[in-house]
Amino acid sequence: MTKRVSLRGALFGAVAFLGLSAPASAAEPGLTDKEILIGLFAPMSGPLAAFGFDPLQAAKMWYEEINKKGGIHGRKIRIIVEDDKCTPTEAVAVVKKFATVDKVFIINGGSCTAAAVAAQEFVTREKIPFVMLNAAGDGAVIPPTRYVFGAFGGTQRTVGATIMEFAIKELKGKRVAFIAHDDDFGNSNWGTAKAVAARMGAEVVAIERIPPRIADVTAPMLKVRAANPDVVISTAYPAPAVLIAQKYAEYGMTKIPLVQAVQGVPIPAVFAKNVGNPAALANFYYGSPLNDLTDGPKQQKWIDLYKKYYPDRKAGAFMTYGLPSAMALTMALEKAGKDVTREKFVDAMETLDFDTGVLAGPIAFAKDRRDGHRASIFVKFDGTKHTLMPGTYFWNGKDGM
Amino acid sequence: MLPLIFQALASGVVTGCVYSLIALSLVIVYKSTDVINFAGGEIVMIGGYLGMFALLFLGLPYVLIFPFGAVVIFALGAAFDRVVLHKVLGRAAPGQSILVAMVIATVGLSYVLKGSARVVPYTEEVRRLPPLFAGEPIVLGPVILQPQDVAIVVIAVVVMLALWGFFAFTLTGKALRATSQNPRAAALVGIPVRTMRMTVWGIASALAAIAGILLAPKLLMTPDMGVIVILAFAAAIIGGFTSLPGCILGGIVLGVIQNLVGLFVASNAISVAPFVVIMLILALRPQGLLGGRVVAKKV
Repeated sequence: MTKRVSLRGALFGAVAFLGLSAPASAAEPGLTDKEILIGLFAPMSGPLAAFGFDPLQAAKMWYEEINKKGGIHGRKIRIIVEDDKCTPTEAVAVVKKFATVDKVFIINGGSCTAAAVAAQEFVTREKIPFVMLNAAGDGAVIPPTRYVFGAFGGTQRTVGATIMEFAIKELKGKRVAFIAHDDDFGNSNWGTAKAVAARMGAEVVAIERIPPRIADVTAPMLKVRAANPDVVISTAYPAPAVLIAQKYAEYGMTKIPLVQAVQGVPIPAVFAKNVGNPAALANFYYGSPLNDLTDGPKQQKWIDLYKKYYPDRKAGAFMTYGLPSAMALTMALEKAGKDVTREKFVDAMETLDFDTGVLAGPIAFAKDRRDGHRASIFVKFDGTKHTLMPGTYFWNGKDGM
Repeated sequence: MLPLIFQALASGVVTGCVYSLIALSLVIVYKSTDVINFAGGEIVMIGGYLGMFALLFLGLPYVLIFPFGAVVIFALGAAFDRVVLHKVLGRAAPGQSILVAMVIATVGLSYVLKGSARVVPYTEEVRRLPPLFAGEPIVLGPVILQPQDVAIVVIAVVVMLALWGFFAFTLTGKALRATSQNPRAAALVGIPVRTMRMTVWGIASALAAIAGILLAPKLLMTPDMGVIVILAFAAAIIGGFTSLPGCILGGIVLGVIQNLVGLFVASNAISVAPFVVIMLILALRPQGLLGGRVVAKKV
């Protein structure tokens, strides 16, 4: 009996020894001595493909570059690409496939907030690190959860805070009108904008919360005009942003600066064409999370690299938005060391604080921070010419919280 | 405050005229076939894009894109009736209602049209058709209107009058009315009911296309712009789903109410207002503002 117990004990001991002494990576899905498997997703089709196609291609390009330099700790990155069409149901299906069928080590993806938020619950439950691609993703990163990192282009809280600070500091706004949608995006950007206005002593003389599918902006714009503001801020989506600019000119408000958040001006030239009235852009500004104009000198090296990888495709306006998340991911893998695990990767992500060479401000995470980027620049645009405005504006992470 | 109200009223009438046109396209289909057309909004969207492509790629003069869009979309609507609805109708067992299947077919059409629009690269961005008439705004006391707004009202009124004339004075129009009131009796007196149904679908689709071309400079085009059909349904219910003048009135009332609610209540109540009005109308006057008693029952 004693002898049999000893034998069983020895077997348990041997198994335990093998289990403990084997490389940590052996137990990690999607990780071998030679390879790191990453699930990459974005809208590649559907009406919002423009937000995700080029950023995903840019992230792929970055991983290729890393592989060319020998990979990370001797491991090459292999990616599996899926299309979530920016819909929450597709996004959840994609992350479940990555986890259960492909068994990836890390998920990198999401260009739309609703899709990223929908994926959050599953990745948190399964403890899979999820590094969002270029979604604003306020709801997925605030409040922070351990496995989700994002807002590489900045949250809507950052958009609201920085656009208000720009209006007050640079445009000398004392009586500001603010137009935001009556959805989560609008709640987030209006929340911080209101707080910044209060902190800086500006009066918000009109706040118009409009439906995203509004067909006629006559009523809100009449109220904005009646409030007699000295700056008008809009954080509307592309179609209502055009309607707002048209009415703003129609009602003779063009002496008052109009500042539009980045989401309303995805491609400035198309925006100007849609507005169709040069007078509407005589005093017009838009925000951007980048460190330069989309084709400015600081962005040019990324555009050239993209051209090298994809000679047949012209880089879209959102191309470089896909790079920072891939940079952060590879940097954290490097920091986590050769014996990387998902937990060590998350710990390493929490220590990142670096300049991407793409964005207006640094990417930084911490134990209590999952939104990576908190800066914006502003551009004056008259329909043809873009002029960078001085200064970079930051959300302090406290206003509106 | 009075100038603001006048401006809101004027702008509401302009937007309401477009709602009316779309509502008309829904109501003439409903009156003639009992089918509620859930693809109405997508036909509006396809009409808008067709107008843009005709302008940009075929080089048609602006005034010609209206008849061009109307003719092409007339053919689309008629073909849908002939190829899909007629088959669905033909499969009904005697005495069996096939209406649900026909309505589902229109839902299918809406998805097909929206999906087709999305695969066209040009639809990735928000687009806008240039205005029919550009130029300085027209100032009428406290009211500022764009020339395009005036064009929208004029074209909408002309189309509505033409539609009224067609139904009231032409043989085909009278045959269509007879078919809508009593298809069996119409068939007995020699009216080709099948052809009449195709014609109704064609006319309704052409109307929706004209509305799409009118809307495209004002509302901007995306493959999702068809959701505006909800407002057209609201207009039709407000005016009376069986009344053509009613849905014209309903559209204008809706456009004005939206602006007044935006002005006096809150901007974010604009999207809720139509549904509150629908509930009030259904509770207080279910037949709508101008929807009278049914005078001829179907047999």
